[in-house]
Amino acid sequence: MRWMLALIAAVVLGSCSQAEERTGLYIQRFFGECGSQYGSATDISKAEGECGIITTMINAFQAQHPDLSVSQNVVAWPGYPQLTAQMAARDPPDIVTMHGAVISDYAAQGLLEPIEPYLREAGIEPGTFTNAARGAVTVNGRIFGMPLDTHGGLWHINTRLFEQAGLMRGGKPVLPNSPGELVAHARQFRERTGKPYLIQSLVGDPAGAARNMYTYMMAQRAAVFPDPKHMRTNTPEGRRVADLFRRMTAEGLGTSNMDTPAAIAAFMNGEGGIYPTGTWMIGQFETEEKTRGRPLYRSYAVLNYPRLWGEHVVFVSGHAWVVPKRERTAEERSAIARFFRFMAEHNFDWARTGHLPAFQSIIDSSRFRALPHREDIAPLAEIGRTLPSYVQRQSAIEGIVGEEAAAAFTSQKPTARALGDADRRVTEFLAELP
Amino acid sequence: MRAAARRWDGLLFVAPFLLLYCTILIYPLLKGIWLSLHRVDLFGQGTLVGFDNYARLIGDPTFGQSLINTFLVTLMVVPVLTVLALALALALNRATRDAAIFRGIFFSSSVLSVTIVTLIFRFILAPDAGLLGEIWQGLGWEPLPFLSHPDLTLPALAITTIWWSLGLPMMLFLAGLQQIPEDMYEAAALDNAGKWTTFWRVTLPSIRRTLILVVMLQTAAQLQMFGQAQLLTAGGPSGASRTTVLFLFEVAFGRWELGYASAAAEILFLIILGVTLTQYWLTGRDRESGR
Repeated sequence: MRWMLALIAAVVLGSCSQAEERTGLYIQRFFGECGSQYGSATDISKAEGECGIITTMINAFQAQHPDLSVSQNVVAWPGYPQLTAQMAARDPPDIVTMHGAVISDYAAQGLLEPIEPYLREAGIEPGTFTNAARGAVTVNGRIFGMPLDTHGGLWHINTRLFEQAGLMRGGKPVLPNSPGELVAHARQFRERTGKPYLIQSLVGDPAGAARNMYTYMMAQRAAVFPDPKHMRTNTPEGRRVADLFRRMTAEGLGTSNMDTPAAIAAFMNGEGGIYPTGTWMIGQFETEEKTRGRPLYRSYAVLNYPRLWGEHVVFVSGHAWVVPKRERTAEERSAIARFFRFMAEHNFDWARTGHLPAFQSIIDSSRFRALPHREDIAPLAEIGRTLPSYVQRQSAIEGIVGEEAAAAFTSQKPTARALGDADRRVTEFLAELP
Repeated sequence: MRAAARRWDGLLFVAPFLLLYCTILIYPLLKGIWLSLHRVDLFGQGTLVGFDNYARLIGDPTFGQSLINTFLVTLMVVPVLTVLALALALALNRATRDAAIFRGIFFSSSVLSVTIVTLIFRFILAPDAGLLGEIWQGLGWEPLPFLSHPDLTLPALAITTIWWSLGLPMMLFLAGLQQIPEDMYEAAALDNAGKWTTFWRVTLPSIRRTLILVVMLQTAAQLQMFGQAQLLTAGGPSGASRTTVLFLFEVAFGRWELGYASAAAEILFLIILGVTLTQYWLTGRDRESGR
């Protein structure tokens, strides 16, 4: 019996020491949890959607690097409150997903490592990033993130309903060129299909409403942030945008009671003409487009936000991998470099989600252009605009702008009051920042 | 000498608890008060600003609205929850197998995490694809936008919370009911007391302490409501369901304004303390007057 116990103890201790030899790599990311479908998948080419592709990429990385012990924590989008708390507790992960607009907040506090040494070890030349991707991860001349993509708002369109509404020409959806035309198209659509023209996610999704405000105020060349301490949306330009969406919603031309899951389900079930959201939904909607029997079967198109005023521009951002600052061994640093190298090698796979690739060579490649709808949205790389880099706490500001804009769009507040409240709240908050 | 030694013995016995209590409750409380007097973010040193953060809070309509929302949702939850839990406890206070099964069923919601509970209620309350929406549409009515209408979001949070929190108060009431001596009911029966009279004159006075405990615990808990508001409505629309804890979470971890969030937390702490002490004082007065 004693011999048996000694043997068991030896086996247990032996297995412990073996596990400890592996270098740990703790990844924290958003993009959702889909372990039930992709928990053990390693074939990246077969994965679909943001969650499926990122999960499979990380699984494949682990499979190809058995000397590493990869663990991942999936956080609810955008995950910054959790990350901030982890950093305050001095227990951040090794690698984290982060939006380009947010990087400067963390970098300025000395919470992120510049990643040039990792890129050098991985053999990645920052000059190969697209301009938009490189700009999004560069703070004061240093690179703080390994870019994954550039992403922005798009109009996802149900072409069957557009056909029914008489809004297709030469096999392409006809989009409006002015606010008046938008209302006219939407009324025609409603009249002929009995369905709303816009499926709007205005509940618990401040990013969507903020995207509309930023995009169409930028189109009118309005300075939303004239300086680092002020925001101005309660202006003629801002009220024009809010009033347009308010009118669409009040007339029933756009939905008003949907959160993001409800809006996605409504679009996939053919309950409206256009779902204005972003690049990240292309992969999922393409799957619907290819599935016989589904309402979107052979009935899906995707285009950039139309030009309704002045200049044709779209508010964009980008995803990146960043490295929170902490003590690391040479092995741990090498593991991060290997992860970056793997992600760079599979940037085309990530682009299948619908986001624009972070590497210019992939955007220019025929295989990227051959992906469905990519020719239609490729101009996003040129018309994409970010907020000025001096604007701090962009994630928190987006929450406030989106909340107040949604209140204006749904007539819960008069437009001027909602936008005035947004300006006041953001400006007061910016005044408190150092 | 012997008495002094005994005092030290006693102190040694409570020392581990006192140490833990001071470390995880008293120190953070004092640190929170200190932070609330500073303009400080999560990672900086900060500067002493006195009561500036409190002055800002008083003039901040978002904070004011969050306080009103918190009071309203507490008022919606606590009375209904107390009455429902008591009714269930009365109905299930019997030694049958069916009653035991139902006790388990009604308690089961309490073991779920807030994430699961809000997910379930999203499926029920979402107007376009939710269970209630489908029923409403089946009846030819327009579905109620529980999660997006400013007048309906707080009731939605209250319904969710009542369903989730029913188990513990029910169990507390059951424990209270089972301590009432049977001979009191026999005496009431001999006096030809009806069911209502027995309830008002025997049952309710006997479980009075449990009733006070349930009301005080639930009041303190609902004044700190967070998860339901964050996950079900994200505080919207336009802040109509933003509770005070959600406000301070957003300020601390979204905006990194730790001093401002600490000031909000101290105000909430004082409110909870005040409400709880008032309830205790009111019920204590009743006890003294022999009612």
